[in-house]
Amino acid sequence: MASSHDGAGHNSLPEFGSEVLKHFLFDSDYRNLNHGSFGTIPRHIQNRLRHYQELYEARPDQFIRYDLPKLLDKSREAVAKLLNAPTETVVFVPNATIGINTVLRNLVWNDDGRDEILYFNTVYGSCGKTIDYIVDSNSGLVSAKEITIAYPFEDDEVVAKFRHAVDSSRSVGKRPRVCLYDTISSLPGVVFPFENITRECRKYGVLSLVDGAQGIGQIKLDLTTLDADFFTTNCHKWLHTPRGCAILYVPLRNQALVPSTLPTSHGYVAKTGARFNPLPPTTKSPFVSNFEFVGTVDASPFLCAKDAVKWREEVLGGEDRIMAYTEWLAREGGKKAAQIVGTKIMDNKTRTLTKCALVNIAMPIHVSSSNRSSSATTTSTGYSSSVSMPTGEASVVCQWMSEVLVKDYKTFIPFFISAGQVWARLSAQVYLDMRDFEWAGKVLLDLAQRVGKREYKIKERL
Amino acid sequence: MHPADFETAGTGGGDANSSFGHAMRNKHFFFAPSYRPLNHGSFGVFPRMVQEYQQRLQLESEARPDTFIRYTYPALLKEARASIAPLLGASTDEVVFVQNATSGVNTVLGNLIFKPGDVILHFSTIYGACLKTIQYLGSNNPVESYQIDIEYPMEDEEIVQVFLDSAQRVRSQGKTPVVAMFDSVLTFPGARFPWEKLVDICRKLGVMSLVDGAHGIGHIDLTHLGRVGPDFFISNCYKWLMVPRGCAVIYVPFRNQHLIQTTCPTSWGFQTTIDRAKLNKSEYFVKLFEKISTTDNTPYLCVPIALQFRKSHCGGESTVMSYCTKIAKDGGRKMAEIMGTETLTNVTGSLQQCCFVNVRLPVTLADLDAPDSKGLHIAKWMQEKTPAEYETYIPIKFYKGGFWCRISGQIYLTIDDFEWAAETLMDLCKRVKGGEWKTVSNMG
Repeated sequence: MASSHDGAGHNSLPEFGSEVLKHFLFDSDYRNLNHGSFGTIPRHIQNRLRHYQELYEARPDQFIRYDLPKLLDKSREAVAKLLNAPTETVVFVPNATIGINTVLRNLVWNDDGRDEILYFNTVYGSCGKTIDYIVDSNSGLVSAKEITIAYPFEDDEVVAKFRHAVDSSRSVGKRPRVCLYDTISSLPGVVFPFENITRECRKYGVLSLVDGAQGIGQIKLDLTTLDADFFTTNCHKWLHTPRGCAILYVPLRNQALVPSTLPTSHGYVAKTGARFNPLPPTTKSPFVSNFEFVGTVDASPFLCAKDAVKWREEVLGGEDRIMAYTEWLAREGGKKAAQIVGTKIMDNKTRTLTKCALVNIAMPIHVSSSNRSSSATTTSTGYSSSVSMPTGEASVVCQWMSEVLVKDYKTFIPFFISAGQVWARLSAQVYLDMRDFEWAGKVLLDLAQRVGKREYKIKERL
Repeated sequence: MHPADFETAGTGGGDANSSFGHAMRNKHFFFAPSYRPLNHGSFGVFPRMVQEYQQRLQLESEARPDTFIRYTYPALLKEARASIAPLLGASTDEVVFVQNATSGVNTVLGNLIFKPGDVILHFSTIYGACLKTIQYLGSNNPVESYQIDIEYPMEDEEIVQVFLDSAQRVRSQGKTPVVAMFDSVLTFPGARFPWEKLVDICRKLGVMSLVDGAHGIGHIDLTHLGRVGPDFFISNCYKWLMVPRGCAVIYVPFRNQHLIQTTCPTSWGFQTTIDRAKLNKSEYFVKLFEKISTTDNTPYLCVPIALQFRKSHCGGESTVMSYCTKIAKDGGRKMAEIMGTETLTNVTGSLQQCCFVNVRLPVTLADLDAPDSKGLHIAKWMQEKTPAEYETYIPIKFYKGGFWCRISGQIYLTIDDFEWAAETLMDLCKRVKGGEWKTVSNMG
């Protein structure tokens, strides 16, 4: 019997799963189980994208200088509304990496060299590198402190670790200035207690920089209530918007902290006063007009955000309906797949980790820290049949598995290593249903058995 | 050769190709039928063949997202780099792609390490966003900028001399000019700049040369760039190479690659100083730019097809650039004839060795009984009228006491487009003389 959670159609709304697949552009033999990495767009949005691109080519100057800003504003408004944020606090950037870089590079560090950036060990790779670079390039002016948490974590553990980190940073004379953390981590794909940490940041007087790359369209976000100092989220991941579209939210009180876009462009106002700006005059705030034109790019993805919001509302039944389905499918589908593989999904006691559209399934591949060579047992399923290998080999295996998935199974699943085990991450979506997760389970089991037979050693890399 | 010859002569070689002018425009480009595209230089356009290819790639990125982005894209990216390197007389691993020249300039300048007393030299003709970049940099880093004022028309020797004098002056103040930034072709006026001579001077002075070739690839011949040897060179591909928007190239010769630690934004490829020391330098540089952050990078992959189009349908790079340069020159001359004014030129004609022409409008401040201070406003009023009421866009600026326009030559234009431009500008001048500019405050 269809429950209200499985997206069963009522009125004219489609039942989620294969019925919705026809809206998308996948190869008929491809199963997209990794929506979380790069997202995808339905045909309707691709048509809108091409429509804007046509406008660009028909009268380039007219469109770019005059029409584009107006369309951009409407799109900002639509996305801001979804996030319950004032429109004037929301601007488009190409992606969350640029959003994070924009904030961190703009912050001016205090002369006394006591400033510190706090972040978690679960930070997304390129953001971690960004922090490395900031530290590296500021000649000792700012340091970074990594807060270690282990999966699966309980929310109050994370809060406790944060408080401890702030205290410990201060106890050695440092000034924790800003803390970077996720809404949802990437690998594993689990929810981070970002609301709690934002509250803690406010309490401790630390700037909150939220990496919501995995955010809008996947989980409910209320930026006014959250009241973070900075927030960025990709629209091209879960909002069915074309790639190269994210937003950067900066509340009015902090906009002066972000004087430059990344790269710096026409909108920058030098401290010595306004200089010539070739773009038409505007009545918008410096913050908004600054981000309106940041070097010539194809801004069509930005314009499509509004269309995507509308499409999701009209064709899929709206954000709540979509997110209820994807959360349900991720958790239940994930459990089903794990059952087939003979393992489990990653979750914590309060089950807050799985309140999203991503799910992580353990593989029966264990990673040892010693240099014991791998042993292979493949004849049975269940917890007893598992493969063990050293870390270096595990990375090779993960790489091999992803390539085999592309080549032999016409899909892609990312793998990662956590707590001495290999895990697979699956993404639920409106075009998937329980059968896809069952299929995924069988494929993962198959892969694990092939690994057990050491196939990755004899097969050539793709 | 008369531009009309190109209409019938065709362009030789390759498949069935269109002759330049309106046939080219109608067959290969997407302009609204009533639109006169006279400002190619600002945002460029790309032909049908390139669009079809790009759309195919975009479809592939939705058909199998991970497959395309993780496996197909890197291979095509390398091919694209290999196809563009020869246009710069460079090695494949000396060129990487970014979204646009502004991003490229920010990347290079943002990587340089400055100490108190360091100075960035630049000319007054610097592109606006680049000036903003230098200003922003100066607000957080121990570096100042020194502006070298020039006003056209100028001879190359004069430019070189004023540059030498400026470098000398900075040194005499006890400061160190560490990098000089200058254009290959200026934005306004649209003029070829003696960048080769300046690169040479920079080398002799021990100053790094950063050439902003925003107007570069596909506009002027750059196959000698590797030999000329600037320290950094940046060029947009979407402007004159007919590649979709969001594609520029950064050239960093092997000897300088160790100076580039990070992309802008910083991303996966970044390694800390300690880790970097263990790596092969040139390997690091190329890998750094391979995966930055998620955007639609299909424009980068369109470089080979754009080159193919220009070769098989337009007779190749030299033919294209010759036509654009000549039509600009001849068209500008025609405009000056019609309007009774002149084109911007210097004695040697060196500044006109590009695809732009600058023509003075037949109206002066005296005609309008307006003070100098109104020049900017009047120019802007006229400029904004061109898209609003004339179905075109013509950049018009108040420059050296006169009103000047910049027209971009292109393969889809013929002389009659320039004649039309002149008629249009005459009409605008008539309106300006009638005092219309006084009534409007600002344009939206």
